[in-house]
Amino acid sequence: MKTLITAAVLLVSAGAAQADKLDDIISSGTLRCAVVLDFPPMGFRDESNNPQGFDVDYCNDLAAALGVTAEIVETPFPERIPALMSGRVDVGVASTSDTLERAKTVGFSIPYFAFEMAVTANDKSGITSYDTMKGKVVGAVAGTYEAIALEEQVKAWGEGEFRPYQTQADVFLALSQGQLDGTVSTSTVAQANVKSGNYPGIAVMGKAPFDTDYVALFTNREEYGLINYLDLFVNQQVRTGRYDELYEKWVGGEVPSLLVPNSYR
Amino acid sequence: MFSYTFQWKQAFARLPEMLDGARVTVEIALLSMAIGIVLAVLLTGCRLSGNRVLMAVSTTWVELARNTPALFQIYMAHFGVASFGIHFSPFVSLLIGITFNNAGYLSENFRGALKAIPDTQTRSARSLGMTPIQAFGYVVMPQMLRISFLPMTNQMVWAILMTSLGVTVGMNFDLYGVTQDLNALTFRTFELFALAAVIFYVITKIIQIGARLIASRLFRY
Repeated sequence: MKTLITAAVLLVSAGAAQADKLDDIISSGTLRCAVVLDFPPMGFRDESNNPQGFDVDYCNDLAAALGVTAEIVETPFPERIPALMSGRVDVGVASTSDTLERAKTVGFSIPYFAFEMAVTANDKSGITSYDTMKGKVVGAVAGTYEAIALEEQVKAWGEGEFRPYQTQADVFLALSQGQLDGTVSTSTVAQANVKSGNYPGIAVMGKAPFDTDYVALFTNREEYGLINYLDLFVNQQVRTGRYDELYEKWVGGEVPSLLVPNSYR
Repeated sequence: MFSYTFQWKQAFARLPEMLDGARVTVEIALLSMAIGIVLAVLLTGCRLSGNRVLMAVSTTWVELARNTPALFQIYMAHFGVASFGIHFSPFVSLLIGITFNNAGYLSENFRGALKAIPDTQTRSARSLGMTPIQAFGYVVMPQMLRISFLPMTNQMVWAILMTSLGVTVGMNFDLYGVTQDLNALTFRTFELFALAAVIFYVITKIIQIGARLIASRLFRY
Protein backbone atom coordinates (compact mmCIF):
# COMPACT_ATOMS: atom_id res chain seq x y z
CA MET A 1 0.00 0.00 0.00
CA LYS A 2 2.73 2.36 1.05
CA THR A 3 4.64 1.70 -2.16
CA LEU A 4 1.50 2.33 -4.17
CA ILE A 5 0.97 5.73 -2.56
CA THR A 6 4.64 6.61 -3.05
CA ALA A 7 4.40 5.53 -6.66
CA ALA A 8 1.25 7.62 -7.13
CA VAL A 9 2.85 10.67 -5.51
CA LEU A 10 5.90 10.22 -7.70
CA LEU A 11 3.78 9.91 -10.83
CA VAL A 12 1.79 13.03 -10.03
CA SER A 13 4.85 15.09 -9.16
CA ALA A 14 6.69 13.79 -12.21
CA GLY A 15 3.71 14.79 -14.30
CA ALA A 16 3.70 18.24 -12.76
CA ALA A 17 7.40 18.69 -13.27
CA GLN A 18 7.11 17.86 -16.94
CA ALA A 19 4.27 20.25 -17.65
CA ASP A 20 5.49 22.80 -20.16
CA LYS A 21 3.94 25.96 -21.49
CA LEU A 22 1.83 24.04 -24.00
CA ASP A 23 0.31 22.02 -21.15
CA ASP A 24 -0.09 25.14 -19.06
CA ILE A 25 -2.08 26.85 -21.81
CA ILE A 26 -4.31 23.84 -22.37
CA SER A 27 -5.00 23.36 -18.67
CA SER A 28 -5.52 27.07 -18.01
CA GLY A 29 -8.15 27.20 -20.75
CA THR A 30 -6.88 30.54 -22.08
CA LEU A 31 -4.38 31.49 -24.74
CA ARG A 32 -3.06 35.00 -24.26
CA CYS A 33 -1.70 36.51 -27.48
CA ALA A 34 0.35 39.69 -27.79
CA VAL A 35 -1.16 41.53 -30.76
CA VAL A 36 -0.20 44.97 -32.07
CA LEU A 37 -3.45 46.88 -32.55
CA ASP A 38 -1.88 49.84 -34.32
CA PHE A 39 -1.00 47.96 -37.46
CA PRO A 40 -3.97 47.63 -39.82
CA PRO A 41 -4.99 45.34 -41.38
CA MET A 42 -2.95 42.96 -39.19
CA GLY A 43 -4.29 44.41 -35.95
CA PHE A 44 -6.54 47.37 -35.19
CA ARG A 45 -9.69 48.36 -33.34
CA ASP A 46 -13.04 48.73 -35.10
CA GLU A 47 -15.63 51.49 -34.43
CA SER A 48 -16.89 49.70 -31.33
CA ASN A 49 -13.30 49.33 -30.06
CA ASN A 50 -13.09 45.58 -30.62
CA PRO A 51 -9.76 44.12 -31.73
CA GLN A 52 -9.87 43.12 -35.39
CA GLY A 53 -7.50 42.03 -38.12
CA PHE A 54 -5.45 39.19 -39.50
CA ASP A 55 -3.38 38.69 -36.34
CA VAL A 56 -6.50 38.73 -34.17
CA ASP A 57 -8.15 36.04 -36.32
CA TYR A 58 -4.92 34.08 -36.35
CA CYS A 59 -4.81 34.08 -32.56
CA ASN A 60 -8.45 32.99 -32.43
CA ASP A 61 -7.70 30.11 -34.80
CA LEU A 62 -4.74 29.03 -32.69
CA ALA A 63 -6.86 29.11 -29.54
CA ALA A 64 -9.57 27.08 -31.28
CA ALA A 65 -6.98 24.49 -32.33
CA LEU A 66 -5.77 24.25 -28.73
CA GLY A 67 -9.35 24.04 -27.50
CA VAL A 68 -9.08 27.14 -25.32
CA THR A 69 -10.41 30.69 -25.41
CA ALA A 70 -8.29 33.42 -26.91
CA GLU A 71 -7.39 36.57 -25.03
CA ILE A 72 -6.02 39.43 -27.13
CA VAL A 73 -3.49 41.47 -25.16
CA GLU A 74 -2.81 44.78 -26.88
CA THR A 75 0.99 45.13 -27.08
CA PRO A 76 2.81 48.01 -28.80
CA PHE A 77 5.86 46.96 -30.83
CA PRO A 78 8.52 47.89 -28.23
CA GLU A 79 6.68 46.01 -25.47
CA ARG A 80 6.53 42.61 -27.08
CA ILE A 81 9.49 41.22 -25.13
CA PRO A 82 8.53 42.61 -21.72
CA ALA A 83 5.00 41.24 -22.24
CA LEU A 84 6.32 37.76 -23.00
CA MET A 85 9.06 37.68 -20.38
CA SER A 86 6.85 38.88 -17.56
CA GLY A 87 4.34 36.15 -18.36
CA ARG A 88 1.55 38.50 -19.43
CA VAL A 89 1.20 36.70 -22.75
CA ASP A 90 1.88 33.16 -23.95
CA VAL A 91 2.48 33.73 -27.63
CA GLY A 92 3.25 36.73 -29.81
CA VAL A 93 1.02 37.03 -32.87
CA ALA A 94 2.46 40.43 -33.58
CA SER A 95 3.85 40.57 -37.14
CA THR A 96 7.34 40.05 -35.76
CA SER A 97 10.23 39.78 -38.24
CA ASP A 98 12.18 36.62 -37.49
CA THR A 99 15.68 38.10 -37.38
CA LEU A 100 18.63 36.01 -36.21
CA GLU A 101 19.47 38.72 -33.67
CA ARG A 102 16.05 38.40 -32.03
CA ALA A 103 16.13 34.61 -32.22
CA LYS A 104 18.88 34.74 -29.61
CA THR A 105 16.23 35.90 -27.17
CA VAL A 106 12.92 34.35 -28.26
CA GLY A 107 11.87 31.19 -30.06
CA PHE A 108 10.30 31.73 -33.48
CA SER A 109 7.90 29.50 -35.40
CA ILE A 110 8.14 29.09 -39.15
CA PRO A 111 6.92 32.24 -40.98
CA TYR A 112 3.16 32.76 -40.91
CA PHE A 113 2.99 35.87 -43.08
CA ALA A 114 5.16 37.62 -45.65
CA PHE A 115 5.19 41.34 -46.23
CA GLU A 116 6.22 43.21 -49.30
CA MET A 117 7.35 46.77 -48.85
CA ALA A 118 5.71 49.79 -50.44
CA VAL A 119 6.60 53.46 -50.71
CA THR A 120 3.97 55.92 -49.50
CA ALA A 121 4.56 59.62 -49.98
CA ASN A 122 3.00 63.02 -49.47
CA ASP A 123 1.58 64.30 -52.78
CA LYS A 124 3.57 67.53 -52.49
CA SER A 125 6.90 65.84 -51.73
CA GLY A 126 7.85 65.09 -55.33
CA ILE A 127 8.43 61.43 -54.48
CA THR A 128 7.12 59.14 -57.19
CA SER A 129 9.14 56.00 -56.57
CA TYR A 130 11.65 54.51 -54.17
CA ASP A 131 14.66 56.13 -55.87
CA THR A 132 13.16 59.61 -55.69
CA MET A 133 13.21 59.34 -51.87
CA LYS A 134 16.90 60.20 -52.00
CA GLY A 135 17.61 63.45 -50.16
CA LYS A 136 14.12 63.67 -48.64
CA VAL A 137 12.92 63.42 -45.06
CA VAL A 138 11.71 59.85 -44.63
CA GLY A 139 10.55 57.85 -41.64
CA ALA A 140 9.13 54.57 -40.42
CA VAL A 141 8.15 52.80 -37.19
CA ALA A 142 11.21 52.52 -34.96
CA GLY A 143 12.83 49.12 -34.89
CA THR A 144 10.79 47.55 -37.64
CA TYR A 145 12.40 45.65 -40.49
CA GLU A 146 11.67 48.44 -42.96
CA ALA A 147 12.88 51.17 -40.59
CA ILE A 148 16.25 49.46 -40.17
CA ALA A 149 16.61 48.99 -43.94
CA LEU A 150 15.49 52.53 -44.74
CA GLU A 151 17.81 54.13 -42.19
CA GLU A 152 20.73 52.21 -43.70
CA GLN A 153 19.68 53.37 -47.16
CA VAL A 154 19.55 57.01 -46.06
CA LYS A 155 23.07 56.63 -44.64
CA ALA A 156 24.21 55.04 -47.91
CA TRP A 157 22.66 57.86 -49.93
CA GLY A 158 24.48 60.33 -47.71
CA GLU A 159 21.72 62.92 -47.94
CA GLY A 160 18.24 63.36 -46.56
CA GLU A 161 17.07 62.49 -43.07
CA PHE A 162 15.58 59.45 -41.38
CA ARG A 163 13.07 59.75 -38.52
CA PRO A 164 11.73 56.84 -36.50
CA TYR A 165 8.33 57.10 -34.83
CA GLN A 166 6.79 54.95 -32.13
CA THR A 167 3.59 53.98 -33.92
CA GLN A 168 2.39 53.49 -37.47
CA ALA A 169 -0.30 56.09 -36.81
CA ASP A 170 2.35 58.71 -35.97
CA VAL A 171 4.23 57.92 -39.19
CA PHE A 172 1.16 58.46 -41.35
CA LEU A 173 0.15 61.56 -39.37
CA ALA A 174 3.61 63.05 -39.92
CA LEU A 175 3.38 62.08 -43.58
CA SER A 176 -0.03 63.67 -44.00
CA GLN A 177 1.15 66.85 -42.22
CA GLY A 178 4.15 67.06 -44.51
CA GLN A 179 6.68 66.55 -41.70
CA LEU A 180 7.78 63.46 -43.57
CA ASP A 181 8.09 63.36 -47.35
CA GLY A 182 7.85 59.62 -47.62
CA THR A 183 7.82 56.33 -45.77
CA VAL A 184 8.42 52.69 -46.47
CA SER A 185 5.96 50.37 -44.80
CA THR A 186 4.51 46.98 -45.48
CA SER A 187 2.26 47.28 -48.51
CA THR A 188 -0.72 45.99 -46.53
CA VAL A 189 -0.35 48.73 -43.95
CA ALA A 190 0.20 51.38 -46.63
CA GLN A 191 -2.95 50.43 -48.52
CA ALA A 192 -5.06 50.16 -45.37
CA ASN A 193 -3.97 53.59 -44.15
CA VAL A 194 -4.36 55.35 -47.50
CA LYS A 195 -7.79 53.78 -47.94
CA SER A 196 -8.89 54.75 -44.41
CA GLY A 197 -9.11 58.41 -45.46
CA ASN A 198 -7.70 59.48 -42.07
CA TYR A 199 -4.58 60.83 -43.71
CA PRO A 200 -5.35 63.20 -46.62
CA GLY A 201 -2.75 64.05 -49.24
CA ILE A 202 -0.82 60.78 -49.29
CA ALA A 203 -0.60 58.01 -51.87
CA VAL A 204 1.17 54.69 -52.42
CA MET A 205 3.98 55.24 -54.93
CA GLY A 206 4.96 51.67 -55.73
CA LYS A 207 7.19 48.99 -54.31
CA ALA A 208 10.35 49.37 -52.26
CA PRO A 209 13.15 47.05 -53.35
CA PHE A 210 13.63 45.45 -49.94
CA ASP A 211 13.69 41.71 -49.36
CA THR A 212 10.39 40.13 -48.39
CA ASP A 213 9.84 40.51 -44.65
CA TYR A 214 8.87 37.14 -43.18
CA VAL A 215 7.16 37.36 -39.82
CA ALA A 216 6.76 34.56 -37.33
CA LEU A 217 4.92 33.67 -34.14
CA PHE A 218 7.14 33.72 -31.10
CA THR A 219 7.24 32.39 -27.56
CA ASN A 220 9.91 31.65 -24.96
CA ARG A 221 13.08 30.30 -26.49
CA GLU A 222 13.15 27.05 -24.52
CA GLU A 223 9.51 26.05 -25.07
CA TYR A 224 10.20 23.44 -27.75
CA GLY A 225 6.85 21.74 -27.26
CA LEU A 226 4.95 24.92 -27.95
CA ILE A 227 7.23 25.99 -30.80
CA ASN A 228 6.68 22.59 -32.42
CA TYR A 229 2.97 23.05 -32.07
CA LEU A 230 3.15 26.54 -33.58
CA ASP A 231 5.14 25.25 -36.56
CA LEU A 232 2.57 22.60 -37.28
CA PHE A 233 -0.25 25.08 -36.77
CA VAL A 234 1.20 27.52 -39.31
CA ASN A 235 1.64 24.63 -41.73
CA GLN A 236 -1.94 23.48 -41.19
CA GLN A 237 -3.33 26.98 -41.73
CA VAL A 238 -1.81 26.95 -45.22
CA ARG A 239 -2.70 23.31 -45.90
CA THR A 240 -6.37 23.75 -45.00
CA GLY A 241 -6.71 26.92 -47.07
CA ARG A 242 -7.39 29.03 -44.00
CA TYR A 243 -4.36 31.23 -44.75
CA ASP A 244 -5.78 32.08 -48.19
CA GLU A 245 -9.16 32.74 -46.62
CA LEU A 246 -7.79 35.13 -44.01
CA TYR A 247 -5.57 36.82 -46.59
CA GLU A 248 -8.57 37.43 -48.83
CA LYS A 249 -10.60 38.74 -45.88
CA TRP A 250 -8.05 41.25 -44.58
CA VAL A 251 -5.67 42.03 -47.42
CA GLY A 252 -6.93 40.81 -50.78
CA GLY A 253 -5.02 40.18 -53.96
CA GLU A 254 -2.37 37.60 -54.65
CA VAL A 255 -1.37 35.53 -51.62
CA PRO A 256 2.38 35.77 -51.00
CA SER A 257 4.29 32.50 -50.69
CA LEU A 258 5.65 31.64 -47.28
CA LEU A 259 8.32 29.47 -48.87
CA VAL A 260 11.85 30.64 -49.45
CA PRO A 261 13.00 29.08 -52.73
CA ASN A 262 15.89 26.59 -52.50
CA SER A 263 15.89 26.45 -48.73
CA TYR A 264 14.60 24.07 -46.07
CA ARG A 265 12.43 26.36 -44.03
CA MET B 1 6.85 34.32 -13.40
CA PHE B 2 9.76 35.94 -15.14
CA SER B 3 11.64 33.77 -17.59
CA TYR B 4 14.65 35.54 -18.98
CA THR B 5 18.32 34.78 -19.15
CA PHE B 6 20.41 37.89 -18.88
CA GLN B 7 23.23 38.27 -21.41
CA TRP B 8 25.16 41.28 -20.30
CA LYS B 9 27.94 40.97 -22.81
CA GLN B 10 25.59 41.77 -25.69
CA ALA B 11 24.36 44.88 -23.92
CA PHE B 12 27.84 46.06 -22.92
CA ALA B 13 28.92 45.77 -26.54
CA ARG B 14 26.41 48.56 -27.25
CA LEU B 15 27.69 50.83 -24.47
CA PRO B 16 29.59 53.22 -26.79
CA GLU B 17 26.41 53.92 -28.79
CA MET B 18 24.49 54.50 -25.58
CA LEU B 19 27.14 56.87 -24.22
CA ASP B 20 26.93 58.85 -27.46
CA GLY B 21 23.21 59.07 -26.79
CA ALA B 22 23.89 60.18 -23.22
CA ARG B 23 26.00 63.05 -24.55
CA VAL B 24 23.06 64.23 -26.69
CA THR B 25 20.76 63.92 -23.69
CA VAL B 26 23.01 66.14 -21.57
CA GLU B 27 23.33 68.65 -24.42
CA ILE B 28 19.56 68.97 -24.83
CA ALA B 29 19.07 69.36 -21.07
CA LEU B 30 21.78 72.04 -20.77
CA LEU B 31 20.47 73.95 -23.77
CA SER B 32 16.90 73.80 -22.53
CA MET B 33 18.02 74.99 -19.08
CA ALA B 34 19.97 77.94 -20.50
CA ILE B 35 17.06 79.10 -22.65
CA GLY B 36 14.61 78.18 -19.89
CA ILE B 37 16.31 80.40 -17.32
CA VAL B 38 16.27 83.41 -19.67
CA LEU B 39 12.61 82.81 -20.50
CA ALA B 40 11.75 82.29 -16.83
CA VAL B 41 13.32 85.60 -15.85
CA LEU B 42 11.27 87.28 -18.58
CA LEU B 43 8.11 85.47 -17.46
CA THR B 44 8.71 86.51 -13.87
CA GLY B 45 9.25 90.06 -15.06
CA CYS B 46 5.99 89.92 -17.01
CA ARG B 47 4.14 88.73 -13.93
CA LEU B 48 5.45 91.60 -11.87
CA SER B 49 5.07 94.19 -14.62
CA GLY B 50 1.48 95.10 -13.86
CA ASN B 51 0.71 95.00 -17.60
CA ARG B 52 -2.44 92.94 -18.03
CA VAL B 53 -1.52 91.34 -21.36
CA LEU B 54 1.99 90.37 -20.24
CA MET B 55 0.61 89.02 -16.97
CA ALA B 56 -1.97 86.94 -18.81
CA VAL B 57 0.65 85.51 -21.15
CA SER B 58 3.02 84.53 -18.38
CA THR B 59 0.26 83.14 -16.15
CA THR B 60 -1.08 81.00 -19.00
CA TRP B 61 2.41 79.74 -19.80
CA VAL B 62 3.17 78.81 -16.20
CA GLU B 63 -0.23 77.20 -15.66
CA LEU B 64 0.05 75.10 -18.84
CA ALA B 65 3.65 74.11 -18.18
CA ARG B 66 2.92 73.02 -14.63
CA ASN B 67 -0.46 71.39 -15.09
CA THR B 68 -0.11 69.37 -18.28
CA PRO B 69 2.12 66.33 -18.82
CA ALA B 70 5.56 66.99 -20.29
CA LEU B 71 4.79 64.25 -22.81
CA PHE B 72 1.83 66.27 -24.05
CA GLN B 73 3.94 69.45 -24.31
CA ILE B 74 6.55 67.70 -26.44
CA TYR B 75 3.95 65.96 -28.59
CA MET B 76 2.16 69.27 -29.20
CA ALA B 77 5.44 70.93 -30.20
CA HIS B 78 5.84 68.31 -32.91
CA PHE B 79 2.41 67.15 -34.11
CA GLY B 80 0.22 69.90 -32.68
CA VAL B 81 1.78 72.92 -34.34
CA ALA B 82 2.40 70.89 -37.50
CA SER B 83 -1.35 71.03 -38.13
CA PHE B 84 -0.78 74.72 -38.84
CA GLY B 85 2.03 73.96 -41.25
CA ILE B 86 4.88 74.71 -38.81
CA HIS B 87 7.38 71.87 -38.81
CA PHE B 88 10.16 71.22 -36.31
CA SER B 89 12.71 68.44 -36.41
CA PRO B 90 12.46 65.88 -33.58
CA PHE B 91 15.46 67.50 -31.85
CA VAL B 92 13.92 70.97 -31.95
CA SER B 93 10.47 69.67 -30.91
CA LEU B 94 11.97 67.94 -27.91
CA LEU B 95 13.99 71.05 -27.04
CA ILE B 96 10.89 73.27 -27.31
CA GLY B 97 8.83 70.92 -25.17
CA ILE B 98 11.41 70.66 -22.39
CA THR B 99 12.24 74.36 -22.51
CA PHE B 100 8.54 75.25 -22.24
CA ASN B 101 8.29 73.04 -19.19
CA ASN B 102 11.54 74.34 -17.67
CA ALA B 103 10.57 77.98 -18.13
CA GLY B 104 7.22 77.41 -16.44
CA TYR B 105 8.66 75.70 -13.38
CA LEU B 106 11.69 77.98 -13.08
CA SER B 107 9.49 81.05 -13.23
CA GLU B 108 7.58 79.73 -10.22
CA ASN B 109 10.89 79.11 -8.45
CA PHE B 110 11.94 82.67 -9.16
CA ARG B 111 8.65 84.07 -7.92
CA GLY B 112 9.14 82.18 -4.67
CA ALA B 113 12.72 83.42 -4.42
CA LEU B 114 11.60 87.02 -4.97
CA LYS B 115 9.21 86.73 -2.05
CA ALA B 116 12.20 85.93 0.16
CA ILE B 117 13.91 89.20 -0.79
CA PRO B 118 12.62 92.11 1.28
CA ASP B 119 11.12 95.12 -0.48
CA THR B 120 13.51 97.38 1.36
CA GLN B 121 16.33 96.23 -0.89
CA THR B 122 14.67 97.61 -3.99
CA ARG B 123 13.78 100.79 -2.15
CA SER B 124 17.33 101.36 -0.94
CA ALA B 125 18.68 100.68 -4.43
CA ARG B 126 16.21 103.18 -5.85
CA SER B 127 17.16 105.75 -3.22
CA LEU B 128 20.76 105.41 -4.39
CA GLY B 129 19.60 106.61 -7.79
CA MET B 130 19.21 103.29 -9.62
CA THR B 131 16.46 102.90 -12.18
CA PRO B 132 13.89 100.12 -11.50
CA ILE B 133 15.62 97.94 -14.10
CA GLN B 134 19.05 98.58 -12.57
CA ALA B 135 17.70 97.83 -9.11
CA PHE B 136 16.31 94.53 -10.35
CA GLY B 137 19.35 93.62 -12.42
CA TYR B 138 22.09 94.53 -9.93
CA VAL B 139 20.45 93.94 -6.58
CA VAL B 140 17.40 91.71 -6.71
CA MET B 141 18.11 89.29 -9.57
CA PRO B 142 21.49 88.04 -8.29
CA GLN B 143 19.92 87.20 -4.96
CA MET B 144 16.93 85.62 -6.70
CA LEU B 145 19.20 83.36 -8.77
CA ARG B 146 21.20 82.47 -5.69
CA ILE B 147 18.15 81.50 -3.64
CA SER B 148 16.71 79.44 -6.45
CA PHE B 149 20.00 77.76 -7.35
CA LEU B 150 19.24 74.39 -5.78
CA PRO B 151 15.66 74.21 -7.11
CA MET B 152 17.21 74.98 -10.51
CA THR B 153 19.42 71.91 -10.30
CA ASN B 154 16.31 69.86 -9.53
CA GLN B 155 14.83 71.16 -12.75
CA MET B 156 18.06 70.26 -14.56
CA VAL B 157 17.69 66.66 -13.34
CA TRP B 158 14.09 66.69 -14.44
CA ALA B 159 15.17 68.01 -17.86
CA ILE B 160 17.58 65.09 -18.24
CA LEU B 161 14.80 62.65 -17.44
CA MET B 162 12.34 64.40 -19.75
CA THR B 163 14.59 63.77 -22.77
CA SER B 164 13.35 60.17 -22.65
CA LEU B 165 10.00 61.43 -23.96
CA GLY B 166 11.66 62.39 -27.25
CA VAL B 167 11.00 58.92 -28.70
CA THR B 168 7.36 59.90 -29.17
CA VAL B 169 8.36 62.55 -31.69
CA GLY B 170 10.97 60.50 -33.49
CA MET B 171 14.17 61.26 -31.55
CA ASN B 172 16.49 58.28 -31.84
CA PHE B 173 19.89 59.65 -30.99
CA ASP B 174 19.44 60.62 -27.36
CA LEU B 175 20.06 58.03 -24.62
CA TYR B 176 16.52 56.72 -24.45
CA GLY B 177 16.04 56.77 -28.23
CA VAL B 178 19.24 54.81 -28.79
CA THR B 179 18.20 52.27 -26.18
CA GLN B 180 14.74 51.87 -27.68
CA ASP B 181 16.23 51.28 -31.14
CA LEU B 182 18.71 48.72 -29.83
CA ASN B 183 15.87 47.00 -28.01
CA ALA B 184 13.86 46.58 -31.20
CA LEU B 185 16.94 45.31 -32.98
CA THR B 186 18.14 42.75 -30.46
CA PHE B 187 15.17 42.10 -28.13
CA ARG B 188 17.61 42.28 -25.16
CA THR B 189 15.23 44.67 -23.47
CA PHE B 190 16.10 44.23 -19.84
CA GLU B 191 19.90 44.45 -20.08
CA LEU B 192 19.71 47.50 -22.33
CA PHE B 193 17.20 49.35 -20.20
CA ALA B 194 19.03 48.45 -16.99
CA LEU B 195 22.18 49.90 -18.53
CA ALA B 196 20.30 53.04 -19.62
CA ALA B 197 18.87 53.39 -16.12
CA VAL B 198 22.36 53.25 -14.60
CA ILE B 199 23.61 55.88 -17.06
CA PHE B 200 20.65 58.15 -16.27
CA TYR B 201 21.30 57.66 -12.55
CA VAL B 202 24.98 58.46 -12.85
CA ILE B 203 24.31 61.61 -14.89
CA THR B 204 21.72 62.96 -12.47
CA LYS B 205 23.87 62.04 -9.46
CA ILE B 206 26.82 63.93 -10.95
CA ILE B 207 24.57 66.96 -11.45
CA GLN B 208 23.33 66.81 -7.86
CA ILE B 209 26.79 66.41 -6.34
CA GLY B 210 28.25 69.05 -8.66
CA ALA B 211 25.47 71.47 -7.75
CA ARG B 212 26.08 70.94 -4.04
CA LEU B 213 29.78 71.66 -4.48
CA ILE B 214 29.08 74.81 -6.48
CA ALA B 215 26.46 75.89 -3.95
CA SER B 216 28.87 75.52 -1.03
CA ARG B 217 31.27 77.89 -2.82
CA LEU B 218 28.61 80.25 -4.10
CA PHE B 219 26.87 80.74 -0.81
CA ARG B 220 29.96 81.36 1.33
CA TYR B 221 29.79 84.83 2.74
